[in-house]
Amino acid sequence: MRSFRTTLRTRLTLLYVFLLCIVLLGYAGCTSIFLWQSLVRELDLSLDRDLETVENLIAVTQDGHIRVDTGDQEGVLLLEIWSHEGTLLYQSEQLKGQLLGSPVMKDDPSHPANRSLRLASNMRVRVITRPHGLGNQFTVVRLGVSENVLRDEFAQMVSALALGLPAALFLVGITGYFLARRALQPLDSMARRARQISAEHLNERLVIENPDDELGHLGGAFNQTLSRLEHSFEQLQRFTADASHELRTPLTAMRSVGEVALQDGGDTRYHHDVIGSMLEEVYRLTRLVDSLLILSRADSGHFPLQRSAVPLLDLATESAVLLEVLAEEKKQSLEVVGDQTVTVNGDQLILRQSLVAIIHNAVKYSPTQGSIRVRVGSENGDALVEIHDNGPGIPPEHRAKVFERFYRVDKARTREEGGAGLGLSIAEWGVKAHGGRIELECGHEPGCTFRIRLPKSFG
Amino acid sequence: MNILVVEDEPKVGKALSEGLKANGYEVTLAQTGEDGFFIANSHSFDLIVLDVMLPGRNGIEVLKTLRRQGLQVPVLLLTAKDAVEDRVLGLDAGADDYLVKPFAFPELGARIRALLRRGKTESVLSLKLGTLEMDLTTRSVTRDGKNIELTLREFELLEFLVRNKGRVVSREMLARDIWKETSRATPLDNVIDVHIARLRRKVDDEFEPKLVRTVRGVGFMLSEDER
Repeated sequence: MRSFRTTLRTRLTLLYVFLLCIVLLGYAGCTSIFLWQSLVRELDLSLDRDLETVENLIAVTQDGHIRVDTGDQEGVLLLEIWSHEGTLLYQSEQLKGQLLGSPVMKDDPSHPANRSLRLASNMRVRVITRPHGLGNQFTVVRLGVSENVLRDEFAQMVSALALGLPAALFLVGITGYFLARRALQPLDSMARRARQISAEHLNERLVIENPDDELGHLGGAFNQTLSRLEHSFEQLQRFTADASHELRTPLTAMRSVGEVALQDGGDTRYHHDVIGSMLEEVYRLTRLVDSLLILSRADSGHFPLQRSAVPLLDLATESAVLLEVLAEEKKQSLEVVGDQTVTVNGDQLILRQSLVAIIHNAVKYSPTQGSIRVRVGSENGDALVEIHDNGPGIPPEHRAKVFERFYRVDKARTREEGGAGLGLSIAEWGVKAHGGRIELECGHEPGCTFRIRLPKSFG
Repeated sequence: MNILVVEDEPKVGKALSEGLKANGYEVTLAQTGEDGFFIANSHSFDLIVLDVMLPGRNGIEVLKTLRRQGLQVPVLLLTAKDAVEDRVLGLDAGADDYLVKPFAFPELGARIRALLRRGKTESVLSLKLGTLEMDLTTRSVTRDGKNIELTLREFELLEFLVRNKGRVVSREMLARDIWKETSRATPLDNVIDVHIARLRRKVDDEFEPKLVRTVRGVGFMLSEDER
């Protein structure tokens, strides 16, 4: 993981050096070409001047021979004079019989004025060719000069560049490596810190120095993930604690009732009573386990919906009729109104379960002589079922939690009255399974509205 | 009536066999799928109660093999799984009914009676318990000759209780048979209790002896003799 090859730091440095290498090579290449061209131009200029000097020294003797009077000037003179028909009229001694290129005629278009070539003695020369009037005849003069100086100078420059390049790359590599370490240091410390944040310390967060830079974004995202993780972890812990409490209570009751009955002896009637009491707890446990099973199957996501077109008003009426007697007992009015045409494509049983749970909840928590109103409608392509009661309402701090499992607004409510606190969780799951959601609205007026919102064309 | 019970859990097996014997059935208990299979093949039974989760050979396999051999005996499956797929699997294998654990014993009794009764049409037009009389065609109820007004649901409830007179009826049975509720998580207990209370007011308040009895922890029962 942290081997030399694969750390981000090494890869960054290598990439950096590689890119710089390409840039520097390009730069060196361009510089060399430019340098070479300017050296050659300079040589051509001096050759031009030399030719002018030499032209002044060319003379024709009485016997028609060409003579070049170099006087006491030292140095190498590479000179040829050609007739315009292409015969060699003169050649300086230093050329030792070697030609400065192919024979040349006047106005030969294939013959450039300046060119480089290699003599038979392997010497590289730069040659200038120019027509020259000599007496009454036209001649062509060719003057050469050795390129050795130029080449030496160029070689020096190039070797200076070639030596400098690795040194520069090396320096850049080292600096880059350390710069990368500096830049990546926050990442390292974030990773270290993240490793320390385990299940027991989920409340800790990464320290973010600058929330606006890239590292800050990463840290922010990580902290958000931690928050979500902490939240679901807390929920799970609370759920486990609540579930075991709810399971333990009836178990404890059964156990103590049974143990006491065994101690006391007692008559048949008493024993019947004890067994009945134990069976009540068994019944409660059975119900609880049934609900938990539904929720766990819902959590696993493996709950195939048996879909059909469900007319919501009929379903709401059916659910209300089911619970009507409970409302009657409390002298509450329970009415269902709304749009007959609203249908959703859903699982009738699961939707009914959700509706029944919410209406049951409203009946349970509304006072005697209260009124509960169920309204079916639609809005923005969603089907709505609103269950409004005029009960005492739900305090703001509880609203977000009423759908949590085992959550009871009033902790003091007995299990007889309040159930296990799973009804609304199951209701919410049923609605969510249909791609919908339940909104809870408690305004200034007394009471609350549970609004089930279902997409009409879900699935 | 001979019943074969195939159940691996000893406590449950013993309770089932004793409970059924108390109801007047002859009971044979098998504790593994293999045993159950051989006993079912070698003896003749009127009904088989078969647990699905069995060691060795599970109930569904046993049932399939028995049905392939042409055995026509009604089979009641017992299982701890209540997902719809599991039910379908059991019924496809040839089961006649299906009961999810943990179940109430009265419910098992009712299901067994229903399976044994099957095919025999009954043409009862009226039911009677003591001085309580129900006319099923006119849907009228009288006690001591006095007319009692009942809602449709209360009538169905009373009919169910009278038909099962002397036997305990659990809330689950009422939810399933009267309210046609398939999910056990639907909160019907309060609803049922309220209906029973109303029925009791109408049927018992002004009359003696009291007929509607609550059997604590189990359910309700209609009976003439007070205990």
